[in-house]
Amino acid sequence: MKTIGIDIGSLASKLVLMNDREIIDHRIDRSTYDFKRIGTNLFNEILEQNGLKRSDVYVMSTGYGRNSIDIADDRVTEITAHAKGIQYFFPEAHSVIDIGGQDSKAILISKKTRNVIDFQMNDKCAAGTGRFLEVMAHALDVPIERIGELALKSNNPAAISSTCTVFAESEVISLFARGTSKQDIASGIHKSIARRVAGMAKRIGVAPQLVFCGGVAKNIAVKQYLEVELGFDIVTPKHPQLTGAIGAALIAQEKLNK
Amino acid sequence: MEHVELLSEFSINLKDRKEQENKKIVAFMSHDNIPEELLDAAGIIPLRMSFAGSDDLMSASNDYLPASTCSFAQTCIGLYSSKPHHYDFLNLVDYFMVSNHCVSDICASEIITKYFDIPRLNFYIPYTLNSEALQYYKNELLELKKQLEIIIGREILNEDILKSIKKYNQFKKKLSEVQELSILGSQKLEIFQKAILYGPSYLNELEDIINKSKSDPVKVNNIKFDLIFTGCSMFIGDYLINLIEDSGGNIILFDTWIGHSYYSQVFLDEELERIQDPLELLVARFKNNELGDHSVSNFLENKVLQLKNLIDEHEQKTGKKVGVINHIIKFCDHINIFQTFLKERLQEKGIRFLNLERDYSRANRGQLSTRIEAFMEMMG
Repeated sequence: MKTIGIDIGSLASKLVLMNDREIIDHRIDRSTYDFKRIGTNLFNEILEQNGLKRSDVYVMSTGYGRNSIDIADDRVTEITAHAKGIQYFFPEAHSVIDIGGQDSKAILISKKTRNVIDFQMNDKCAAGTGRFLEVMAHALDVPIERIGELALKSNNPAAISSTCTVFAESEVISLFARGTSKQDIASGIHKSIARRVAGMAKRIGVAPQLVFCGGVAKNIAVKQYLEVELGFDIVTPKHPQLTGAIGAALIAQEKLNK
Repeated sequence: MEHVELLSEFSINLKDRKEQENKKIVAFMSHDNIPEELLDAAGIIPLRMSFAGSDDLMSASNDYLPASTCSFAQTCIGLYSSKPHHYDFLNLVDYFMVSNHCVSDICASEIITKYFDIPRLNFYIPYTLNSEALQYYKNELLELKKQLEIIIGREILNEDILKSIKKYNQFKKKLSEVQELSILGSQKLEIFQKAILYGPSYLNELEDIINKSKSDPVKVNNIKFDLIFTGCSMFIGDYLINLIEDSGGNIILFDTWIGHSYYSQVFLDEELERIQDPLELLVARFKNNELGDHSVSNFLENKVLQLKNLIDEHEQKTGKKVGVINHIIKFCDHINIFQTFLKERLQEKGIRFLNLERDYSRANRGQLSTRIEAFMEMMG
């Protein structure tokens, strides 16, 4: 039986259709306030385009909106799903940093059992998350896709002392007022995210091989600054945004095989 | 029982006791090691502040203390500042005791006494256990006794203090039996919370509950994992217990002030016979508390050992795995500072451990739920 992993995040919804360990198709769309609708739409679309019926697939939901999806046969947290998903790309990986729209997580995987043995997660604060980057990109009037490249052009990163989204936005405005360049501000913003997330990750003793996933892993500056803060190289999978959905689909497969 | 119902009932009960028995009420922050027996012997009703917060209560406190203050301290101030109607009984409080369990406790108690015009009593606890500290503790007891005697206008007799000590002792011993009952963690918590609120006047009801539960044990279903809950107490009205049980976890031990840390502080019968001076008895209890998180220098090692033994015993008995949730109320520096040590020491011993830091905001309910569910998945 084929499996579907649906990862309903606060900013993006992701869906992966798998046959055993092969990814057949996937979808990514922006999450709306209506998690159920976006998840169901993606689900129906992927079934239709692959000529499948509901009864042909087993569905595992994950992510912040995992409980809103009533088409799911089962649910798993994004922590367990990401830990499984990154192993699809890096079977030997020991640690994970996932930065999504609303939260960031550090996960430790047992070398022996390949299961999660520890994790840290931010709480309701948006600091060090995709949402933080979005607010900052807006404040800088730069498209979110380009803010990472812009940051890496800086030779003199601005000091952003606040990790609070609201205060950091005020800080950015005051840096503008002082004539600081966009790239220096962007660089400071990225460094502040990396500092915060690396601090959280160090608390559980992350070590190589560390996989960086989630939507923010597509941002090259966050990756580079994280490497500096952690003191070692990190890797990103081919589809960093899909690891939660892939993990959910793989867990579904394991469940069916039991 | 819903917490609103519990508070409404308690409000009526407290009002009746105050009016009919002409009693004064002294409130204090929940986890303080206040000798409530002394208050009881003076005919005063002790009221532990043991109420969970909310967004409204926390923000109501921000006129007095910054938002980066312990969420429980914010809640206590918020209760006085906004006076929600289920908490009408706070208007009945005659005195508020200021003690030094932690900085936030001192700040919150001082603000409550100063800005809400409640007369203040002081009771400070030493942070060590040497002979001078024990003498200091005794002096504080004597001083508190004097303050209470002025309030009631008569001497507090030693025989009355002894009587109260025995009464609380019997009550706590009975309360410790709840630990062994075959009921859900949420049911145990409800009993502990009510016990903290009502004190020994809850004894008869408590005995009934225990007897009924022993004669008709309930099979606890849908439990995936047994848990020990340590750190900050789960206060009345907290939704956290629901999140834990909805995730398949069952708390078998509340290693917190609302729970084990309260009912474990009992006197041995031998001590009650040997020590005749009631204040010396209270000093002995302070001295013998191996888990006193301020006064015992190696209390964390004692705690690690205690938890490890409890887990081993439970796993041998039931064959079930036990995990530990360390509950850290945001900006509770006191518990926060121990989190890494406790986690590392217990993980070294192969025990699954979760540091669960949160405030009372509803906004982080989703993330809180994810952390708890992920912990359960990790245990599986």
